[in-house]
Amino acid sequence: MKTLNNLLAICTLLLASIGYGQIQQKIDMKIDAVGDAKITISMTMNGQQWQTWLQSVGNNPAALKRDIERSMPAYFLDDFKLDKNDMERSFTLSMNAYGVCKVDKRGNWIIDTDQKNANLTELTSHKYMLVSSPPELGGTIQQTYTIEFPDEAKDIKVDKDAFGKSVFKFKMNNSTADFNMLRWAGALLLIVGGAWFTKNMLQKSS
Amino acid sequence: MNSRITPIIVAAIGAILLAASFVFKGNASGDDINVVIEKADFIMPAAHRVYANPQALDGKYYLFKAKIKNNTNHSLEDVRVRYRIPGYIDWTELTVSGQMFPGQTLVVPCYPKFDDKITEKSTESIEKAEVEVSWDGASKDDIVEEEFSFKFTNRNEYVYTGIKKEEISTWSDMFDNNALIACFVTPNDPIVKYYTQNLQEKLLKGEAASVTNKPEDGVRFLAGIYEGTRASHMVYSGTKGIPQSTEDVQSIVQQIRLPREVITGNTGLCIELSCLYASVLSAAGIDPIIYMVPGHAYPGFKMNGQYYAIEATGINGEGLGGIMGAEEAFKKGQEQLETFFKQAQMGDPRYTLVDIHAVNQQGVTSMDLKDDQFLRGKVDQIVASWSGGAPVQDNNKPSNQGGSNRVYTPDNNLRTSSLSFSIPSGWQTHMKPVPQMPILTAQVTSPDQLTTVSIYDIPAGNVQQALNTIEQYFGNFGMSMQYQINGNTVVGLTYSNAGTFNWMGKALNKSGGIRLVAVGSPDYAFGQKSNEINTIYNSIR
Repeated sequence: MKTLNNLLAICTLLLASIGYGQIQQKIDMKIDAVGDAKITISMTMNGQQWQTWLQSVGNNPAALKRDIERSMPAYFLDDFKLDKNDMERSFTLSMNAYGVCKVDKRGNWIIDTDQKNANLTELTSHKYMLVSSPPELGGTIQQTYTIEFPDEAKDIKVDKDAFGKSVFKFKMNNSTADFNMLRWAGALLLIVGGAWFTKNMLQKSS
Repeated sequence: MNSRITPIIVAAIGAILLAASFVFKGNASGDDINVVIEKADFIMPAAHRVYANPQALDGKYYLFKAKIKNNTNHSLEDVRVRYRIPGYIDWTELTVSGQMFPGQTLVVPCYPKFDDKITEKSTESIEKAEVEVSWDGASKDDIVEEEFSFKFTNRNEYVYTGIKKEEISTWSDMFDNNALIACFVTPNDPIVKYYTQNLQEKLLKGEAASVTNKPEDGVRFLAGIYEGTRASHMVYSGTKGIPQSTEDVQSIVQQIRLPREVITGNTGLCIELSCLYASVLSAAGIDPIIYMVPGHAYPGFKMNGQYYAIEATGINGEGLGGIMGAEEAFKKGQEQLETFFKQAQMGDPRYTLVDIHAVNQQGVTSMDLKDDQFLRGKVDQIVASWSGGAPVQDNNKPSNQGGSNRVYTPDNNLRTSSLSFSIPSGWQTHMKPVPQMPILTAQVTSPDQLTTVSIYDIPAGNVQQALNTIEQYFGNFGMSMQYQINGNTVVGLTYSNAGTFNWMGKALNKSGGIRLVAVGSPDYAFGQKSNEINTIYNSIR
């Protein structure tokens, strides 16, 4: 999830460099049935952190958006929403990320974590958690990721890619895939015709 | 009769439709595949290795990024995306997605691998890139084709920012490409190496800053570089730096002469002199820093966590007057540094520094430059102007003269050698490269000279004795080393005038002693070369 890490680095780097104690950050990633995701980042800060954040990116959401887009080249992002709560010194940033999951040649859906031996905890059969304290941010930020898979996802497992990095692999059938009007109409007519014929035959014999 | 026939007809139509549904699966048309391309406006040949590396600066520099959405109601099998840049890159496949469901989006960033020859590009041009999206069963008409143009600068051009003009709001936005200045720092250029060697030997009569790690030695070397430029009557001079626009980006585009051009042309602008200093410092194993301030840049180095600087443009030139001595230039540099840190601590974004080795580790590496006898001759003339003496003997000079101990390996597949490991194609083998060190049987170096494999055959009873012997030899050459032995694995660091060398190796029992095969690279390139080093290490038998 290097791309995600980059995003968080942008949101928090200035705070980390000042070192006002450990900062907690929550990142939720909700994946949908076509492999896109809704990413929501939320964070509460103390007074000094809040002022620093406002001066750096909080008051310039356009720059924040651009930096996030440039730091996540593997995704296409849109629908940014930044909700600031000045009273509570907190913010929630949400966005849509397209192309988060890929499908390999064997039909497996894959999400990269871009971390070796990622310490993943299974919360439910479709929800995983990852807690990390990136050393590049001085260990001052504790990030809690939750990754929620769609109901359609099956056989979710943590595997490794060719570089030994942890990846999620799962199976998912697309509900809208290959909806074949011809097939459904044919089957319907076949059933109706068969039932009608049987009914007529039964009436005749009685 | 009708009551029988009608339901049979209905059922028959149903059966036909059902059968037809298996025969006519329906094809996705290219019109239903939505492709959005987000492209770079400029490509700088000097930074071609950054554009080629998805890991460099977290993949920020790409040629284009394609968003492909399947708007059909069919799944597409084996979706392939390929691109080409006529005249530069032939059709190259970027990705294959096993399946693409209706509504699914595929995002494909393109990190183009240009040939090293583009660093010879001396004029700018507008080039066209073509992108093609196809899938299994797509007819020729269905294949989606997109194209876009971009500006290909010449190798000397440095574009200060890639941010779209309407988005620029701060000073840092205008200088967003600062890290790419490291692409113009060329410590591995044979001409720069040759110049550095001469500086160390002819001018400084010995230099050990990277070994001693003493700031006074570092400052002596920094002053030595300054003296070298001053003694050769190098002058300060400007080059073209003009605003240029493409469709979206407007930036100052600066012509930056490469360090080799600054040395041999005997002239440079502040940023060019900074790149020259950084190249020479890096070649000597010192951590170079380039300080960027409004309208100016100056070089320095970092040692033991402390920063040092010199005003490289103090050379001015006889026509300009006011030529500073080395001490004065260093004093001026340190004064500027004081202001720099004061401003930076106050949060002034106009004061930034580029830690060259740090950005090298993030994948920003310099271009490959070929050796050139004419330029070496120019360096010889410059060196002669320092001392009136002849230039140092260069052991790395390509030569067809008799007595050369260089063996060129043919460009074929990876091969297992009698040197106990697999030598990749294109690597050069030097047998008995140092006659004064008979235990060094051979050295094998990668084409970019960054990775070296050394094979030692030592008449010793065990690994510890073997390493003691190597250490003694190193001591004779002013080198030292630290190592750890774990079974037959040895990992260590070697310190020399050329910098710190990280290595790992295996000790093998051989009749009459121990063979140590060690592979490594300078510490600044170790991360970048780790895959290559591991491959070699794993092939040691």
